[in-house]
Amino acid sequence: MNLAWKEMKKSKLRFSILASIVFLISLLTFIIAGLANGLADDNASLIKKLPDGTFYLADDADQTYNLSAIDKRKENDILAETGDAAAFSVQMGFVFDKDEKQQSVAFVTSTNSDYFEQVDPGEVVLDVSLKEEGVEIGDELTNQFNEKLTVAGFADHQKFSHAPVAFLNKADYQAIYGTDKQQMILVPDEDAKDIAGLDAVSKDELLQSLASYKAEQMTLDMIVWFLIIISGMLFAIFFYMMNVQKIGMYGILKAMGLKTAVLLRMIWTEMLLLSGSAIILAAACAMIFGTAAPDGMPFALDSIMLIWLALIFLVVGFIGSTVSAIQIKKVEPLQAIQQGDV
Amino acid sequence: MELLETINLQKTVQNGDTQENILKGIQLSFQKGKITALIGASGSGKSTFLTILAGLQSVSSGEVLLEGNSLVAMSAEQLRKLRAKEFGYVFQYAHLVPFLTVEEQLHLMLDIAASPLSKQERKQEVHDVLGMIDMLHRQHAYPSILSGGEKQRVAIARAVIHKPKLLFADEPTASLDSKRSMDIMELILKLTKKNDITTLMVTHDEDMLRYADRVIKMNDGKITEDRTV
Ligand SMILES: Nc1ncnc2c1ncn2[C@@H]1O[C@H](COP(=O)(O)OP(=O)(O)OP(=O)(O)O)[C@@H](O)[C@H]1O
Ligand SMILES: [Mg+2]
Repeated sequence: MNLAWKEMKKSKLRFSILASIVFLISLLTFIIAGLANGLADDNASLIKKLPDGTFYLADDADQTYNLSAIDKRKENDILAETGDAAAFSVQMGFVFDKDEKQQSVAFVTSTNSDYFEQVDPGEVVLDVSLKEEGVEIGDELTNQFNEKLTVAGFADHQKFSHAPVAFLNKADYQAIYGTDKQQMILVPDEDAKDIAGLDAVSKDELLQSLASYKAEQMTLDMIVWFLIIISGMLFAIFFYMMNVQKIGMYGILKAMGLKTAVLLRMIWTEMLLLSGSAIILAAACAMIFGTAAPDGMPFALDSIMLIWLALIFLVVGFIGSTVSAIQIKKVEPLQAIQQGDV
Repeated sequence: MELLETINLQKTVQNGDTQENILKGIQLSFQKGKITALIGASGSGKSTFLTILAGLQSVSSGEVLLEGNSLVAMSAEQLRKLRAKEFGYVFQYAHLVPFLTVEEQLHLMLDIAASPLSKQERKQEVHDVLGMIDMLHRQHAYPSILSGGEKQRVAIARAVIHKPKLLFADEPTASLDSKRSMDIMELILKLTKKNDITTLMVTHDEDMLRYADRVIKMNDGKITEDRTV
């Protein structure tokens, strides 16, 4: 006899209240996780989209990219040695569009490489978000030194420090910032060798060293974990309260000779049916939210992340319900008989 | 051989600093198919004795033999199987499972007892027993809407549907008025005699004694009277 199903059918209200709470909490978690991921993209998709590898910075820069200036000879050595290495630089700045409106951008330039947009002198390739601001191909922008830059194209998802990236030719970059030294060199090999005078960091370390990135991600990750823990406690408390009311019944059933394993299976089946359906529904809603969210909202939920979160929720629910299952194991039939009616 | 036998049964519990002897060497045997009533003052040890025989608590010393097999020597799992297949229980309250219908309560007991009956036979059996306790019209009802007497009728049906060797009843009529108590006793009599089930029943109610084949009186953990009616 399927006791779990029978009980859920009888106590529909009770179980649907719990299911809707689980639904709301997991939906909230999915959305916040999607926002965390979206903000991370918004903050540093320029770096996130680069291949995993080793990033070299000048060692006197103390791992701060915009203080780094790599010696030209070292740059040439590395680039000559590793064919697919790229040297690049990033500086925050701004341009004026054709309506004289100021747009913050992150100027990026690089040596010849597939990882970055390559731009001719006098031209600029912008992140696609500026297209929504009304910038079009062929527009003439002015930089802070009143030099003209013609928009040659748009690139998908290239953001840095929440600003759209503007790819420049090395010569134009040098004209603005007055240096031909690059800040970083990327070697697409995670175990690349140490080089004297240069610091080597991984992509993740580079991301973490970006000022706002770490703070933002830590806060959001913390919220996600809190929500997961809360939902686990919710399961534990809910099943605990339900079990306390049912201790007498469990005792009688045990006295009658029902196996403890049958009772445990009942609790687990209830938990699985309930949280499983709530979480699947929440995942579907989060996905709908993702497609319906306004473009300006940084929301990026990928399915692998969603599956992981859903699994964590299930595991946490399992642990939560198991805490109260231990109570069932301890129920003495005799105690229950000596108590009153259930 | 006797169905059930106790040899110098003793139960001692620790009450704070003092040791309390609840049962002080009880020597009894019970014959198959008889109804035995256990009476005595409150606190004399009747429930303790009954639950020990029913495999629900341990002894301090002595023996309990079921058809010659020692309950004292059995493992927890062996005792569970015994309770599931060979014993039935009725208590002061019905203790029905709140989320099962009347009919399902009986099916659950057949499940627990791992009844050899086929699905069809089980249905027939449940139907027959529900007819005997006059609850067919309520077979799809949940316990919450049943009256106290109806609940107790279902509890009795549940206790005997798997045809146990022994039925243990601890004050099964204590929560009912005298008219309903009579009905319940008639029912216990009808159901146990039909399947040759041996019954041990604790009661406070003098009126119930006329249904018993034998009356045993306990006082302070000892048998003070044992008469066959
Ligand atoms: N686990 C226990 N620990 C301590 N004392 C106990 C325990 N179980 C029973 N007793 C005591 O043993 C005595 C006998 O209890 P028991 O329940 O067997 O009496 P009873 O004859 O069934 O009484 P009543 O008619 O009131 O139900 C009582 O004094 C009770 O307090
Ligand atoms: Mg008692």
